[in-house]
Formats: sequence, structure tokens, C-alpha cells
Amino acid sequence: MVSPILLIAVPLGLAFAIPVLGLASKRVPRYVPVIAMLFNLVVSVSLLPHALKAPIVVRTAGWAPPYSIHLVAGPLGVLLSSLIALIGLLVAVYGIDYIREGAKVKYQILYILMLVGATGVVLTGDIFNLFVFFEVLCISSYALVAYRGDSTGVEAGAKYLIQGAIGSGLVLIGIGLVYGTFGTLTMADIAANVSSVGSFRLFVSLAFLITGFGVEAAIFPLNGWLPDAHSSAPSSISAILSGIAIKAGLYAIARVVYTVYGASSILPFLAVLGIVTLLIGEMCAFGQEDIKRLLAFSSIGQMGLILFALALASATGISGAVFLIVSHGLAKALLFLASGYMIYRTGSRDISSLNGIGKRMPIMSLCFTVGAFSLIGLPPFVGFASKFTIVRAVLGTGSTFFITLLAIGLIGTVIEGAYFLRIVQGFYFKPAPEDSPEQTEGKVPFSALVPVGLLAVLILTIGLFPGIVGRVLGPAADDLLDRTAYVQHVMGD
Amino acid sequence: MTGIIQIVLSPLIAFVVGVLFLGLARKIIARVHRRYGPPIYQPVIDVVRMMSQRSISHGALFELGVVLALAGSLVTVMLIPLGGTEAFQPFAHSVLCPLSSSGGLLVVMYLMLFGPLGLALGAGASANPNASIGVSRKMLLALAYEVPFLLVILAVMSQYGSISLTEIVARQQQASWGVLSVPLSAVAAFLILPAMLGIRPFDLVTAPQEIASGPLAEYGGTCLALITVQKAIHLFVVIALFVDLFLGGGVNLATFLVKMLAVFLAVEMINAVLPRVKIEDAIKFCWKWPTALAFVQMTITVLSK
Amino acid sequence: MSPQAILITAFAGAGLVFLAGKVHSHLRDFLAVLSSLALVGLIAWSHGQYGPDNEIVYVPDFLGMELALRLNPLAWFFAIYIAIINAASVVFSLSYMKGKEKLGFYYSMMLLVNAGMLGIVLSGDFLSFYIFWEIMSWSTYLLISYRRGPALHAGMKYIIMSLVGSCAMLVGILSLYAQFGTLQIAELGEAIAGSSSGYVLFILMAMGIAFGVKFAILPLHTWMPDAHSEAVSPFSAVLSGVLVRMGMYGFLLVMYSIVGLKTILNLGAGFFNFHYILSWLGAITIVIPTFIALLQNDAKKLLAWHGIGQGGYMILGMAFGTSLGVAGGIFHTINHGSYIALLFLVVGAVEYRTGGVRDLNRLGGLIQRMPVAFFGCLVGIMGLIGMPLTNGFVSKWFIYKTLITEGHPFLAFMAFVGTWGTILSVYKLLHNMFLGQLPEKYKEVRKAPISMQIPILFFCFVIFLFGVLPGIPLRAIQGIQDTMGFAPLQLTMWGLASGAGALNMLNICFAIVIAFAVVLLLMRLGAKPRRVPQEDSYAAGSSVPAGKYHHSVEFYNPLYQMISPYLKDRVDQFYYWAADKAQGVFELTRRIYTGYAGTYVLYIISFLALLIFLQLAWEIW
Repeated sequence: MVSPILLIAVPLGLAFAIPVLGLASKRVPRYVPVIAMLFNLVVSVSLLPHALKAPIVVRTAGWAPPYSIHLVAGPLGVLLSSLIALIGLLVAVYGIDYIREGAKVKYQILYILMLVGATGVVLTGDIFNLFVFFEVLCISSYALVAYRGDSTGVEAGAKYLIQGAIGSGLVLIGIGLVYGTFGTLTMADIAANVSSVGSFRLFVSLAFLITGFGVEAAIFPLNGWLPDAHSSAPSSISAILSGIAIKAGLYAIARVVYTVYGASSILPFLAVLGIVTLLIGEMCAFGQEDIKRLLAFSSIGQMGLILFALALASATGISGAVFLIVSHGLAKALLFLASGYMIYRTGSRDISSLNGIGKRMPIMSLCFTVGAFSLIGLPPFVGFASKFTIVRAVLGTGSTFFITLLAIGLIGTVIEGAYFLRIVQGFYFKPAPEDSPEQTEGKVPFSALVPVGLLAVLILTIGLFPGIVGRVLGPAADDLLDRTAYVQHVMGD
Repeated sequence: MTGIIQIVLSPLIAFVVGVLFLGLARKIIARVHRRYGPPIYQPVIDVVRMMSQRSISHGALFELGVVLALAGSLVTVMLIPLGGTEAFQPFAHSVLCPLSSSGGLLVVMYLMLFGPLGLALGAGASANPNASIGVSRKMLLALAYEVPFLLVILAVMSQYGSISLTEIVARQQQASWGVLSVPLSAVAAFLILPAMLGIRPFDLVTAPQEIASGPLAEYGGTCLALITVQKAIHLFVVIALFVDLFLGGGVNLATFLVKMLAVFLAVEMINAVLPRVKIEDAIKFCWKWPTALAFVQMTITVLSK
Repeated sequence: MSPQAILITAFAGAGLVFLAGKVHSHLRDFLAVLSSLALVGLIAWSHGQYGPDNEIVYVPDFLGMELALRLNPLAWFFAIYIAIINAASVVFSLSYMKGKEKLGFYYSMMLLVNAGMLGIVLSGDFLSFYIFWEIMSWSTYLLISYRRGPALHAGMKYIIMSLVGSCAMLVGILSLYAQFGTLQIAELGEAIAGSSSGYVLFILMAMGIAFGVKFAILPLHTWMPDAHSEAVSPFSAVLSGVLVRMGMYGFLLVMYSIVGLKTILNLGAGFFNFHYILSWLGAITIVIPTFIALLQNDAKKLLAWHGIGQGGYMILGMAFGTSLGVAGGIFHTINHGSYIALLFLVVGAVEYRTGGVRDLNRLGGLIQRMPVAFFGCLVGIMGLIGMPLTNGFVSKWFIYKTLITEGHPFLAFMAFVGTWGTILSVYKLLHNMFLGQLPEKYKEVRKAPISMQIPILFFCFVIFLFGVLPGIPLRAIQGIQDTMGFAPLQLTMWGLASGAGALNMLNICFAIVIAFAVVLLLMRLGAKPRRVPQEDSYAAGSSVPAGKYHHSVEFYNPLYQMISPYLKDRVDQFYYWAADKAQGVFELTRRIYTGYAGTYVLYIISFLALLIFLQLAWEIW
């Protein structure tokens, strides 16, 4: 068994090797992220069977928890790191030709750093390291949002930076409070001692952590940065931001609320928050004319649904949430990637300018359609399986409160269907705008077709055989739910 | 054997009685108008004459429409009991209704559609504007009187709990006539009889002075003869239906025909004195009083059940 | 034949046709016809092969549930009905669609819709049911949009309403799972027996919304007029003929196969009885749409409104819950399928030959040019009205009879009035297309091609066959009713045998044929008329100028003026109003995202403050 620490160490090393490699050849750096992510994918997937048996706890510097920095690669963590690696890999392949101008070398470095940050967030067992990886993730994404260097990109990056920095500040205060109280930063150790402290003091730290992570997790009303950032970034970065980065934030919240604090009584509040986020996201997306903004708002909506499902506190609910993380990650990455070349082709982000594109870019449009159908939750695509699991979980709780929330939330799904299907209709059945420029640079290279096509195939395959992911979901849910087991595993010996 | 006799007999009766009624109608109106009028057998003369006249045709449908109309009316007759009873009574014979167990009143209602539909199709095959106007009026008038008529029929069927016309007649003969047990329906039905028969004040479909007899404008010769026969049989069917629904049918054919004659005379009196109305007014009338009466009666019937 | 083989053929056909479309157009057409006919054959072959052999778990573990297929009388009946109408439409498409673009897409979607519907009826559990239901929904959406232009709007309207229905159904299905731990239809029937009536009502409501949207019961009907008139005609035939009737299948399945007759009849008290209210909804669905149809001048819109109206009869019969009523409802479903498909195909043929005209005020006199289409239209409207000798008559007779003998004349009245409204509007359809003057520009119209005539004549044959010998389908319906626990009817080949309330279609048929022959003979006896051209007509001494007038315009003007103020689709207006308001709200919501970092920071701080306030105020943790 390879050590999970390689998941962080190897890409990190490769990232910093890029400038050196760049000296040797100009073409090499662009392949480095592919190699790094391929490595991560292979390692993550090979770790999965082990993690399913028992979480892998990796200590550093020879100290046992709570005194060491350590990684806890449980089923949830490894599943998410596999997802990160998979999407990271596909987007990296896409980026080979997609990124044409600007500081390409820096792009590749930042790209790897961002993914390393995300991987670190889902694997770490220590709340301060959580913060550190989180910052790695955030800071590289601030830079990547502004990568193009145009005014909108820089503005969006700056706004993102301001809000992200406040969020990070809040997280840091929260961690400080925790450390002041417990004198430890190991999550398992805190979890073991949490009940020994007065509630208000603890709550303040929790509030700071939720708010801070909530900024990255795009929970309403903390998500003001998201529409700008996701739409201004290059499409490959949008794909990662929407597909992975915000999930890292949500993972952090879930980990803190469930494992560290065991604060199950605030879950109804989070559920309401989730539904509000869902509705607001979908409602804002409905009227958008800019395809990337629309996709960004749709991400907000989906995050709301994931949060809602997480707040159900049942095994099925969390399975559904994790499943939705997977399916939304695949679908949203696909949508952003496909729209990237469509935007190149038409030279505009207006939805109306994409009319009739089905004829000019048949494969891209078909894949986009698959992604859109999956997001709406139409069978036989993967989105259906995940939404189905969530609805099942809600009805399984049998609580009127949650069922009412679900009913409201399903309105969001209808709105989502309305705007996505409108786009699909435009692709195939509306005439192309007459003045649309036929740009040759929009020709889709092989390196873009492969990841987009693969994502579409994955969406369909997992949709038809949800068991592929389904086997991991149950243990992943237990990983979050079962505090005592977590504490035992980490602290045990 | 009796079946075959009945099958031949009942359309024949309808034909003879219907044609005589047509003649009688002209006579009565003439007398009310203080004229002498044609002989009662005038329609027979007309039919024979027209059969021998050569006329025009606008195509196969032009003729087939007429055939469809007449055939439909003839079949309708076979579903209507023309007197007779199942219980033993003096001077009574068994029910004269060859197709008594073939769907009952519901089939009658639908078969009565063949007549107007056939004529409309035939008239439509020509390109005469008068015919189109006439067909449109016929359709509207049918909708106008069918609304109260359906309520009437439903009230009767609910009252006797059956859709079979023979059974309804038998129940009336055992207990009281329909005119007593569902009186408002009977009144309503009587009010719409002129409309169903297409006579004044509702003769706007074939209004000769306005639209040159409407659907009949293009017809002549054999076709017109058959249309006349159809009209006669339709007249017979409608009145026979009224007798069966409200006047207890007849224990034998003779009493049945006597009742029919009474109803017919009453209707012809209206025909003789009233002027023609516009189609809008016809619809308004039919949807006002007869409908209200029939509706009230149906409500009473349902509530008293 | 196992249900699995049927479904594999169906889905594989859809896929292969798409691929074949990339290769050669003839191969594509050939494959499309072949696979749709093969399905008819396969299903026909599997007749009677019910029982445990044909219950197959095809996915043992889909998120912890079993996906199963099964074949039983109900499934077989609907399957053959779906396959036949679809096959006829595909054959019709051969010439109708010739030269149009994206034909590979068109044919494969036709077959995919078909496959989805077959999947629905063959499903042995509700999860597969839902999956196939959704596949059907979105493929229909794509196919409606295919025509472009106004069809896009129609497609959106359809899919949005459909999604609402799907959400409701999903909640219903998963609530069943949460309650009973199984979604197998066979097991649910037993499981649900002991549950409270409130719960059963909840399930029926949730499912009923989904089925009601598909079925277009008032007030969930508003997608249908647009969708049916904007889709290409062969698909309109499928849409109105079978697709919306999946709602009927759903109702039958949930109400009688699962919940069971006894529970349904005792659900609620007095007037507020579930099946009674559903019957009234059916009755209203008959009357209002039928009269709205009267106001239409677009041939397909007119038929679409009738599609809604006729659905009312099915619901009325089905919801009423007597053996006769339910048999009538099911029978009416397939009857309606046959004649509405026929009528849509006829309108399609006319559209095809006249260059896309379906405005009833611009057609006329086509009987001379398109006799087969005229015959099809005549038979179709006779079926739609329910004239004796057509199948529509028998099923309506069943429904009327049960309403009258069970003492519900008011419901019967609604049904009757609907029929008489139908006569008016469908006669207008026939008259304005085929009768009256032949306009100058259609003098050269040719008759419909053979691939259109075959399905038209086929449906004519079916309509008469089932009209004269209704025993053929009624036997199969009896089989369905046996599985649902209805008392058996005294069926014969020609109708119903039970004393005075009997129905004998064969007698009526003989009587009409003989009467027809006699009258024809009479006509031969008279003088033979002389054939003259259409324009040679009586005009009181002058001549009717050709081409100046169109006598069919505003055919029922006096009635229009009386009833049109009352017949606005207010439900549709309400939905539009609501959608409009919702968009206003969406716009307002967007203002939350002002674009100023300062506002956003304020949001973050407020959120933190809110959290702490909540804790102080209510001790949420």
C-alpha cells in the first residue's frame, strides 16, 4: 500500500519542478499537471479498497496524534480525492491546448497547487492543516481567476480575494478559539473532548468556522464572489472551481459540524440554508444571458441541495450528498469545458449566440446536453441516481419538516430544468444568429474532445450502473456520521 | 320467423304512417290558414313523380349521403317499440321492436345522427353556399335542442333505471306514464319537438325563402324523393319516441298510432301558427326554458331516488 | 417472448436507426420500419405468456433496489397498443418526413419514445417505471421541439409541466419505498392494504399529479393544445394516441392494481370521495375542452383539444369503478388511440399535399382530390363522435350505461353534451377540409402517397372491426379486469349479453347494411342523375362566382358569438400570469448579487451575526 501522503507530496514536488522543466523545454510544463493528476488518480483509486476497510492514518515525524500532523484517509476522503484527481486529470488534458496565452508556466503551477490544496483538505486530520490546505486552494484560485489579466478577470479575482480573505480570517479566528479551549488541533482529539466545554463558547468558534468555510462553499449569503469568479475565470478553471473547489469548502463544513463538534441540533438550520441557497441559485440562473454566469448560479443551486442532503444526518442522506458531489462535479466540469470551446467558436458568452451550435459542434453540443440532462436529474444519467438517493433519504426520515423543505426544493429542480432545456433547445432547434463569426481558432482539438467525451461517457455509465460509486457511498457516509469510530481510529492506539 | 316479419314490418309502418303524416301536415296547415290544401296522399304522388325525374349529381358522395341518411333512419325505426306489451292484455300483441336488445335508447340517440350527417355530407359535396349555410344551421340547431333533449332522456332513464326502451315502456304500462312521473321533462320534450322535426318556428335549416331550402338546394329527382321519405320516417321516429317515453307506448299498434296522431296534431298546430325564428334565438330558446325544466326534473328525479 | 427481449429490441432499434442515419437514408428508413414492425410482432407473439416466467429482475442492485420487468394482461394490452400506433406513424412518416432535416434524429427519437412507453408498461417496479417515464418525457420534449418556431415554446411548456409531475411522482414513489421498503408492484399491492386512507390519498395525489399532467386532465392540460398542434403530424398521432394515455395506464396501475378497488371506492365520504371527485374532474375535462375545440380554426389544435376532451371519458369511466365503467374507460383509450391517430394522419396527409396548410378557413373541397384521406377523415370523425359501427360508440355506450344505471345522470349529461359538442366541431373539420368548394390553388393536389394511405386504411379497418366485433379487445380487457378483481361482464363477440340492457353490434351492423342495400336498390329504381361539375349549382338564376367566397369561414358564427366569451382557457392564462410573476421575482432575486464587494462582505458579517444571534435567542445548539 502506498502512503496517502504521496497524494500531496508528489504533485507538490512536480509543481515546483515545473519552472525547472520549463527551462529544458517549453512544451514540457503543460504535460506536468496531467502526469501529476494521473499519479493521484492511480494512487487514490488503489487506496480506495484499503480505506473502505479502515481509515488509513498517516503520521508524520514519528509522533502519534494528537501531537503530530497527520492525514486521515477515510472512505470519504479517498473517494473525494479520487474525484479531484479524476476531474483534475481530465481538465488538465483539456488545458493542454486550451491555455494558449499568458503566463502558461504559472498557470500549470497554480493549477497543481489548487488541486493539491483540495486533496489536502479532504485528507487532513488536523484542523490547522485543514486551514493551510484551504489557503493553498483559495490563493491559487484567486490568482487563476485573474489569470487572463483582463479587467473583468482581475476585478472578479479581487472581489474573490477580499471575500475569501475575510472567510479565511474567520476560519483562523475559529481555529484560534478552538485551540484556546482545547489546546489541541487534532480533529479527533477535539471531538473526543467537545462535550466537556460550555456550549456558547464552543458555538462561537463553530459559527466562525461555518461562516469562514461557508464563503468557499458558496452557501447563501456568503457566495457573492462566486458568479463573478466562476464566469470570469478561464473555462478550465471554472470547471475546477465549480466541480471541486466549492465542494472542498462544503466538505470542511461537514467535517467540522459532524465529526469535530457533533452539532446535530444545528442541522435543521443548515437544511433551511441549503434550500434557500438552492432556490436563490436556481432563480438567479433562470434569467441569465451569459452561459458561464448561468452555470455558476446553477452551481450555487446544486451546492444548496448538497448542503440540504448533508443536513439530513442519515446514512442515505449523506450518501446522496456525496453522490451529488460526484455527479455534480462530473456534470459541471463537463458543462464548463464544453462551453469553453463553444465560447471560443462564437466569440461570445451570450446564450443566444450559441443558438444553432448543435450543427457546427455536434459532439460538444451532445456532451453538453448529456451534462445538462444529468444536472436536471433526468434518467438514465448520473444526476438522476444522486437526486433520487437524496429524495429517498428525505422521505426515509419521515419528518414533515424535511419533506416540506424537499417540496420547496423540488421547485428549484423544475426551474433548473426550464433553463437548461431552453439552452439545449437553442443548440439544436433555433437558427444560428446570422452575424456569427466563423472563427477558425474554435476548432476543437483532440485534447478537448477526449476529456469532454469521457465525462459524458462517465455520466452515462455511472447513471446506468450507479453501483460503481454506490459501494463507496455507504462507508463514506459512516465516515462522517460515526464520530466515535473516527476518534477511535485516529486516537486509538 | 316473427323476427323477420318484424324487421320488414316496422320500417314499412314507419314509411306509410310517416308519409301520411306529411300529407296530413299540409292539409292541417292549409285548413288553419283557411285554404283547402292538397290531398293527404300528395306526398306519395310527389315521391313517385320525383323518382321518375332525371336530376343532377355532384359526385358519388352527393348520392351516398342521401342513402346513408335514409338507411340510418330506417334502422332507427327498428330500435323503437311500436306498441305491444310483454304482459298479457286483451287486444295486445308482443312488442313490435325487432332490435329491442341491441343497445336501447343510447343507440337510438346515436342512430338519429345518421340522418343529419348523411344530408350534411351530401350537401357538402356540392359547392352551393346555401347548402353550407343550411348545414351550419342544422348543426347548431341540433346542439341547441340536444342539450334539453339529453336532459329529458336522462331523467326518463334515471326514473326507470334502464337504458332499454322496451323496458321503459313496460314500466310505464305497469305504473304511471312518463308524462305523470316526469312531467316537467315531458313539457320540455314537447317544447323542443318542433326543433327536432325542423318545423316552424324552427324550420330555419330548410328555410325555402331564405336559403333555397338549404341542404336540399341542389337535390332533385330520385335523391329528393328519398330525402322526402327520410323526412317522413324521421318525423315518425321522433313522435314515436315521444310516445314511448311519455305516453306509455301502446298495448297494440293501433293505440300507439292513435297516441302518435294526437301528439302530431298538437305539434302541427304550433307549426301552423308561428313564424320562423333566427338561429341565435332558436339556441337561446332551447337553452332557456326547455333546458331549465328538464334540469329541474332531472334534479328532482335524482333526489327522489 | 420475454419482456427483456422486447425492450432490448426497442432501445436497440432507436440506437441503430440513429447510426444508420449517418450511413444511408434508405437503410435508416428500412431499419425504422423494420424495428417498429418487429416490435409489434414480438409483442403479439408474447400474448398470453404471463406468469412468473416473464418476471425478470434485469438489474439486481440499482442503489439497493431491484429493477424488474414483467408481463401481465394489462402490460401486454398497452404494449401492443403502443407498438401498433407507433408502427403506423413510422410508416406514415416515410413520405411525410421525406426531405426534412435531421431525419436520423427524428426516427430514433420516435423509436425512443416508443421504447420508453414500452418500458413503462413492462416495468415490474416503480423505479423502472419512473426511469422509463422520464426517458419518455425528455425524448418527447426533443421531438416536440423538432419542428422549431412556435414548437420551441410548446416544448418548453410541455417539459416544465412534465417536470412538475415527475417531481410529484418521485415523492410519491419514494414515500412508498420509505413506508414499505419495496417498490415491486406485485408486493406493494399487499403492503399497502393495511395503511391509512390518508396515506393512500397522499400517494394517489402525488402520482395523480404526474399522471394528470401527462393525461391532460383539467386543470393540468395546458401544454397539450400547443404541443400537439406544433409537433409534426405523425408524432402528434403518437402523442395524442398513446403517449398521453400513459397517464391512463398509470392511473389503472396505481388505483386498481396496487391500491385496489375496495379501498378506492371507500376513500373519503359522500361527495368528497376520491373516485367521485376524479369522475367529476373527468366530466369537466370532457365538456370544456370540447367546446373550446369548437372555436379552433387550426385543424391540429382542434384535434388536440378533442384529445383532452376524449381523455375525460376515459377518466370518467375508469374512475367510476364499476366493471362496465372501467372496461369502457380502457376500451375508450385504445379506441381513442385509433381514431385520433387516424385523424392526425389525415390532417398530416392534407398538410403534406397542400404545402403545410392546416388552417380550416383556407381549405375545402379536397374530397375530389384526396378520396382516401376523406374516407379516413369520415371514419375518424365517426369514431370520435361515437357513431354506431365504430369502436368509439361501444366504449362510450359502456360509460353512459354505467353512469345511468348507477344513478349519476349529471355525469352522464356532461358526457353526452361533450359528444354533441364533438359532433359540431369535427363536422367542421371534415367539411372545411374536404367538402364545399375546391379552391383554385388546390385543383392540382394529388392524392396521398401509398405509405400514407396504408396506415389510414389500417386504422379505418380497426375502427370498424372493433365497432362491430367489440368482443375482440374486450376479451383482453376482461383479462385485465380479472387481475384487478372486478366482477366479470357477460361479454359476447358482438357486445354485451345481459337481458334488456344488452348491446348487439352485429345486429345493428346487419340492419344498417341491409337498410343501406335496400335504399341503394331504391335509388337504382329511380331515374339516374346526370353528373355535373361542382360549380354548376343553383344560385337563383345567377351564378356563384368561383374562388370569391369560402362558405366555410366562420362556420358556426352565431354560436361563437354566444359562447366564446365564456370559453377562454383561464387556467392557461393563470399559469402564464404565475410564470410572469415568478420571473419578476427571479429578477428581483438577482439583485441580491449587486456586484459590489462591500455588499458581499456585509452579507458575510451579517451571516455571522445572525448565527450568533440565533444561538443567543434560541439556543440552537
